[in-house]
Amino acid sequence: MNEPQRVVVTGIGVLSSIGNGVEEFTSALREGRCGAGPITSFDTTGFLRTSGHEVAGFEPEQWIHRLPIEQLGRATQFTVAAARMAVQDAGLDERELAGLRAQITVGTTDGEAGELDRMMAESVAKGPEHPADQLVAGRLPSHQLALAVARELRLPRAVPAVLGTACAAGNYAIGDGFDAVRGGEADIAIVGGADAICRRTFAGFSRLGLVSSDYCRPFDADREGLLTAEGAGVLVLETLESARRRGARIYAELLGYGLNCDAHHPTAPDQASVARCMELALADAGVKAAEVDLVSAHGTGTPTNDITETRAIREVFGDTPPRTVALKAMLGHSMGAASALGAAASAIALAHGFVPPTVNHRTTDPQCQIDCVPNHSVPADLRVVVNNGLAFGGNNASVVLGRHEEEPSR
Amino acid sequence: MSSSTIHRDRPLITAWSAVSPFGLGRDAFAAGVGRGQPAHEVPDFDVRKVLGKAGTRTYDRATGLAVTTVRELLAEAEAARSPIATGGGTALVLGTTLGSADSCAGFSRASFEGDKPYDVPAQLMPNVLMNGPAAATAIRFDLKGPNTTVAGGAAGGLLALGYARRLLAAGRAERAVVGAVEEQSPTREWLAGDTDRTIGEGGVVLLVETARTLPPGRRVLAELLALDVRLDIDDDPAQALADTVREALDQAGATPEEVWAAAVTGQPAGEQLAALVGTEAVGRVPALLGDTGSAATVFSLTTVLSLAEHDPTAAGRVAVIASLDHQGLAACAVLRLTGGDR
Repeated sequence: MNEPQRVVVTGIGVLSSIGNGVEEFTSALREGRCGAGPITSFDTTGFLRTSGHEVAGFEPEQWIHRLPIEQLGRATQFTVAAARMAVQDAGLDERELAGLRAQITVGTTDGEAGELDRMMAESVAKGPEHPADQLVAGRLPSHQLALAVARELRLPRAVPAVLGTACAAGNYAIGDGFDAVRGGEADIAIVGGADAICRRTFAGFSRLGLVSSDYCRPFDADREGLLTAEGAGVLVLETLESARRRGARIYAELLGYGLNCDAHHPTAPDQASVARCMELALADAGVKAAEVDLVSAHGTGTPTNDITETRAIREVFGDTPPRTVALKAMLGHSMGAASALGAAASAIALAHGFVPPTVNHRTTDPQCQIDCVPNHSVPADLRVVVNNGLAFGGNNASVVLGRHEEEPSR
Repeated sequence: MSSSTIHRDRPLITAWSAVSPFGLGRDAFAAGVGRGQPAHEVPDFDVRKVLGKAGTRTYDRATGLAVTTVRELLAEAEAARSPIATGGGTALVLGTTLGSADSCAGFSRASFEGDKPYDVPAQLMPNVLMNGPAAATAIRFDLKGPNTTVAGGAAGGLLALGYARRLLAAGRAERAVVGAVEEQSPTREWLAGDTDRTIGEGGVVLLVETARTLPPGRRVLAELLALDVRLDIDDDPAQALADTVREALDQAGATPEEVWAAAVTGQPAGEQLAALVGTEAVGRVPALLGDTGSAATVFSLTTVLSLAEHDPTAAGRVAVIASLDHQGLAACAVLRLTGGDR
């Protein structure tokens, strides 16, 4: 038995359709930017709806100095770049990092599925006898998202893990890092999520009729669905004591998290189970429902998700729930990166005192009885934020972040 | 469920089962280890024949293997009058490399071959997600605790064990079903290219509990003393393996002389391991299943547990389960064998 350590967020790295890097991301959240546009990563000929959210202006060589970039798939490049941004943002140089036991946990939905898509295109064109390109096949295993970070940052004592828990994977990874640091297993955690937009997933959502014709409009009466996206969100976690010792800037405290599984349906979320996940997270964080000022919802903009999730929120928080925003209106659905970007945005919102908006909003669906902070961010003195990730397969994860206040020195 | 304390009691392995090239269930696996004949494919594994038609229409092979493996674990515990509770207190943690490569490739192929690029089998969409097998298993057996899929290649099984240890230490579950699944498929063969490695398959799971939550009458088969993971960043994989094995033994407070059985999977590194813990320990564990990816370390462990069951010299000694993958990731678990007779 040991007293658990308090865990804080001291670094943020972001790649997203509304901006790269923590400063740009912060401005975009405040301005309510929307990153939707025509998909260019793959040929969208023949698809009825062709919008998505892509990362723009990404120069891997700016962030990846050691590894041969051509050997890394796009999702791996995103992860490595965002991880380097995050450790730089945390003010950690490589000398300091080298001596630390690090937990590197990355969540992803598709890993390098885009690479497999390209292999299949070639296989269809050239026939089944055509051998698999071994260089490309070598990029496929998803655990390389974490290995590449450890290699690029030269961290031999890093424990790498990649969690494939679909669209809640970012939160799962943050939770894992929280436990590793809180329990003293690691000195530092470099955690988050990453996904690159890929044809396969886009085709799947298109076939299910879940892709919107123009924008993602969560909680809106006229919402048509989601827009697939890409990006990466990486957080640096360390103990409060370590952050104080270094004199690090602290964005927020990570108070706790909850995980559960619906064990109900492969694709439809279960309201009671989603509510239970948030309750587990609040209990873990030692926070009462009444103390929560903001929920960063999973909020995909599909009818099923938005109604189930808002009802679950009302089940937990009562008839006057905290403001509930869906960042996917701005960011699209970046799969495994989604809840990691949500956690990054939550930490930023706590540090800067504002609520990012749910953009593209016209009329709130009467079945979604929440204040979604439509279209414009608002200044707010936030104390506690709950960030949700809900995945196909019923894998739920909620993370609770709290405002960090420097205690007056005695 | 959770608590404000960190629990330091060691994870205990109290049951295991497998769906392996030796057949369905624990006894079939142990018998196969006893025979010592190599095998690579789960025999007669037609998912819908094995599991019935209800609810299995969209299962792919990986999902079928995962569900059947956990079914065997639960049924064997029931038969031993030591049932395993399901519901919110039970976590499921499964290692993988690519999920089902065959499902992913088929889905992608359909997009290129169909009249329209969205002519994909939408009902099979959960199969292209790495968490498909774990999620389907949870639905089948009402496992409402944390449900996590860990991608880790050859280290996947050990990374899943480390993840589960953190969950238990933080009080996020009372018990965890931990293991890995890899399917044999044309796509996996195709991706492996022109290799001399034989592709193997199977599902294998351990029941991991702690002294705090051990039900009365449950036998403890092994205790996880230490788990170390490290990455070769200097292009010296043999050194990374040596470092991780030494570190894990050191953490465990165990000496090489105490090692009764040892195995390394992934890259061929048996000789390096033998140099660290002796040829007798390494020679004790036959490698019979081919390359079972993330399941290989867990199969190594269940092989050791099968052998220890019938060998009184194992009791109280140590097992070293290591892996070294082609990306240079080295991992090592050290376990104390309790050697209880059945």
